[in-house]
Amino acid sequence: MQKTGAFFAAAMAAGLMATAAEADVKVGFIGSLSSDTGLSTLRGAEVAIEELNAAGGVMGGQKITLVAADTQEDVTEGVKAYEYLAETEEVDFIISGSIDDVSLGWLPRMQEFQIPTLDTWTSYIDIIDMIVEDRDTMAPYFMNIASDEALATLYINFGADVLKAKMGFDSVVILAEDTAFGDAITGLVTDGLAPVADIEVKEIITYDVNTVDFAPIFSKARASGADFIYQVSSVNSQVISSQYVKLQVPMAMTGVNVSALGLEYWDDTGGAGGGISTLSPIPSVGFPLDPVSRKFVDDYQAKYSSRPKVPHFNGFNAYHGLKQAMAAAEEAGGFEDVKAWSAAMLKQDLKLEKDGKMWLRYGFWDYDTKEPVTGRTYPHNALFDLEAPYDFAQPSMVVIQWKEDGSVGVVYPFEYANTEFELPSWVK
Amino acid sequence: MNLRRYHFALWVLFIAGLFLLPWFVSKGTLRTFIFANYLAIFAISWDVLSGRTGYISFGHPFLIGIGAYTTAILTKHFDVPVEMSIPIAVLATMLGGVIVLVPALRIKGSYFALVTLALMELMYQLVQVIRPDLTGGTRGMSGLPTLTRGAVNGYYLSVTLMVVIALSMWLLMRTRIGTALSAIGMNEEAVSGSGLSIVRLKMFAFLASAFVAGLGGAFYVHYLGSVAPRALFDINMVFTIIVAALIGGVSTIVGPVLGAFFLTFLLEYLRPYLPGAERYLIYGSIALVLYMYQPRGLIHIATGVWDRLRRL
Amino acid sequence: MLQILIQGLLLSGLYALIAMGFTLIFSVGRVLNLAYGTYLLAGGYTYFYFAQQLGLPKFAGVGLAAVVGAAMGLAKFQAIVKPLKGNHVAVEISTLILAVVVQAGIIFRFGDSSKILLPIVPGVGRVADIAIPYSNLIAAIVSWVILIALYVFARSTHIGRAMRAVSMDPKGAALSGVDTDRVNAFTWGISGTLGAVAGVFFASYTQLYPGMWVAPLIIAVAVVIVGGIGSIFGTLIVAHIVGFMEIITSSLIAPELRGVFTMILIIGVLIARPHGLFGREEP
Repeated sequence: MQKTGAFFAAAMAAGLMATAAEADVKVGFIGSLSSDTGLSTLRGAEVAIEELNAAGGVMGGQKITLVAADTQEDVTEGVKAYEYLAETEEVDFIISGSIDDVSLGWLPRMQEFQIPTLDTWTSYIDIIDMIVEDRDTMAPYFMNIASDEALATLYINFGADVLKAKMGFDSVVILAEDTAFGDAITGLVTDGLAPVADIEVKEIITYDVNTVDFAPIFSKARASGADFIYQVSSVNSQVISSQYVKLQVPMAMTGVNVSALGLEYWDDTGGAGGGISTLSPIPSVGFPLDPVSRKFVDDYQAKYSSRPKVPHFNGFNAYHGLKQAMAAAEEAGGFEDVKAWSAAMLKQDLKLEKDGKMWLRYGFWDYDTKEPVTGRTYPHNALFDLEAPYDFAQPSMVVIQWKEDGSVGVVYPFEYANTEFELPSWVK
Repeated sequence: MNLRRYHFALWVLFIAGLFLLPWFVSKGTLRTFIFANYLAIFAISWDVLSGRTGYISFGHPFLIGIGAYTTAILTKHFDVPVEMSIPIAVLATMLGGVIVLVPALRIKGSYFALVTLALMELMYQLVQVIRPDLTGGTRGMSGLPTLTRGAVNGYYLSVTLMVVIALSMWLLMRTRIGTALSAIGMNEEAVSGSGLSIVRLKMFAFLASAFVAGLGGAFYVHYLGSVAPRALFDINMVFTIIVAALIGGVSTIVGPVLGAFFLTFLLEYLRPYLPGAERYLIYGSIALVLYMYQPRGLIHIATGVWDRLRRL
Repeated sequence: MLQILIQGLLLSGLYALIAMGFTLIFSVGRVLNLAYGTYLLAGGYTYFYFAQQLGLPKFAGVGLAAVVGAAMGLAKFQAIVKPLKGNHVAVEISTLILAVVVQAGIIFRFGDSSKILLPIVPGVGRVADIAIPYSNLIAAIVSWVILIALYVFARSTHIGRAMRAVSMDPKGAALSGVDTDRVNAFTWGISGTLGAVAGVFFASYTQLYPGMWVAPLIIAVAVVIVGGIGSIFGTLIVAHIVGFMEIITSSLIAPELRGVFTMILIIGVLIARPHGLFGREEP
């Protein structure tokens, strides 16, 4: 009984503290505080907030404050974190560096609380479909990374333009992890490779994400007789890539390898990651930057000394996206009128140029415009371009490759490339 | 039945306190109470099986998961209304309870604990591999129907469920059956010598535990609105449930409730100061020290203090 | 066929090494050390810190990992196992809590993202076109050497015989003048060392990440349950059953079912033969 009394006291104290919040603009961060991806979003938002506050604040001089809630990349913790931001901290706007599964967990809470929310990492196409089907409750939600479908679509072109045309590969064996992400990408790629790139899919091998030993799986892949391996890996991706290098599998391998997206990949693999290529959202490691984004990275590096040394793509998304969210709030008279904010956010459009060319564009698809290549709509999703010469927006992804000397560069699309796709030295 | 008047007085006070809570605390705190209530339900379920009989289950999420997944699949893919799917989920979980019972008829102690751990791991892997179109595979399912909206409603639903379960289990454990179950934990041979059917008693404990786990799991899923294998069949989940029951005070029903509240609030109140992984470092260390200091739990510490005060 | 044989032998050797330290504590101390996986975790990260981040020689890294493992084992015995004397459930719960604490500590110090260890011995050999990374070969050989050494040690040294005596009958051993506390402390130290060294190999086989203690714990549990308490020979055989089952499932059936058969094996064996395939009956 004494225990309950103590809870009362403590709980009331917490309640009072929460209501004592000032009239400042309060931003909540939701994501993992111990992963490179989570930290990228958090820090991107911090740098943007620092700049805005230094320039006198927003909406008539209000200062922006930031509170962080850790998800540990766990779905239930994510729900708790969202509730904490919404009800205890009563934030005005939420910026998310959550992975897909975690976002899916808290999305029903977003629909309930109707807090303007920007996701900088999640790319799951089904969430876009939710926006298509349920405009009303999904109005506060935006996603400023190209959807996974757009990523896969452009990857097929890489298959046609590089793997088929340059390397002369005719057949592929797919190694896909057993996750929904793996299923989705594998499905999209398999459906596209044969008709678009004229590459035959010999076999699809699905493996479990906790696989310790890839030797039998690589043996199976070799036995299929295909020309190259396409891997789809978002969880424990370093294992498959480093075992590929350690076992010196005599076949080319490319695909999606989430671990190779950060600059720490080389250190983390102890250099055993050369030859790995992966598709990456933009801007990625090895991606040449426009002056505005370059300045962001410089400020970032002056401010933070711990990893990630260079923010992942979602750090850029958070930096530019947070400013856009504040600009939309200026136009809509704050975050309270969610419909007005949503309409203003949808109109945000930031074009960044490099050497006089359109280089990066931060904006959103509206409800009606159909993307010409896939023929569907992507409301509230980041603008992207699936066709050369990429003058509408940046491509949905680039393909990057880590070389055996530890350098990394973009190999596709050619308009953005600064190095060429190569086979690892042990593949003849 | 060994019931005293002050028992009821305490229960009435406790329940009244819980039901008046929304007038005193913020919505954010209520949300934390909701999670504490569900954790309390799981800890009670564990306590009925393991705290009493001494058959330590390391795989309790196996049972909770059956309840959670059954109702999730039924409502999501077969459009079964929640009023139907939850009872079905509870029945399915009780079937799961029988599965856990089978090894308990032959093995005990650490071996039994390991089998339950293996059952949970098996479930974790099968859920992802078998019919991922139904279970949602690794990603799980989201967008499930929720029973309530808003913190206050969610709180009342969870607290009612928790109180009803706690009170009925507490009364049940005060009957002769409860005493017999505790006796199994102490000396199984003596119980069978006294002419009681060990198998039936165990069956009863396992089914009661599964009933509570299924009920808790099903309501929990319809509160969260999502279910994911990694968050459910996880050794951290096992850890939280067992530690809640033990820190509160095993084999007391009230103890696990206290333990669940204590752990949930400890974790939540650390959040503003330590948002990251340090939180778990502190939280785990406190749990470890507390457990090492008094393995019989908070309730034992509390009654000890109470006795000393009375003697003054 | 040859491919399955080679890959199976390599993986099974590693699994035997992982399971050995766990079996030892289970036979001598009669408790399940659920924090066993944290030796592997600590061993892997120690090696990573000294050999990969500070650039010390690799063997120094392995040595330091072994020292850290031994220290952890001894500390655990002194701080947790001894005070909770005889209460198996309490030890199991405490070690479980400890494992979560260690994991949080690792995340705090090294972050959440996984890391790849450099192979201890770089390079790949080939037998009939089947790749054999030298590192994995070394892991398998080291594991065999350690197992044989342990077998000889348990039979022919004084303390080894004392360990066997305690494992068979703790009360009897104490009565005949064996200092059971000393034997137990020694066993916890050895178990920690074995775990930490296994951790270096396990991490160099796969990767280093804060949740790395769960998978090896499950492997150790499987091997010990199926092999039975107190049998070095049983541990070896069953590590090979588990290892080969994984390789065969991956190559011939379906890679995503890899772990399912291990779990079914655990549950099946325990129900059919509660004392394992090679274990002795408990008194």
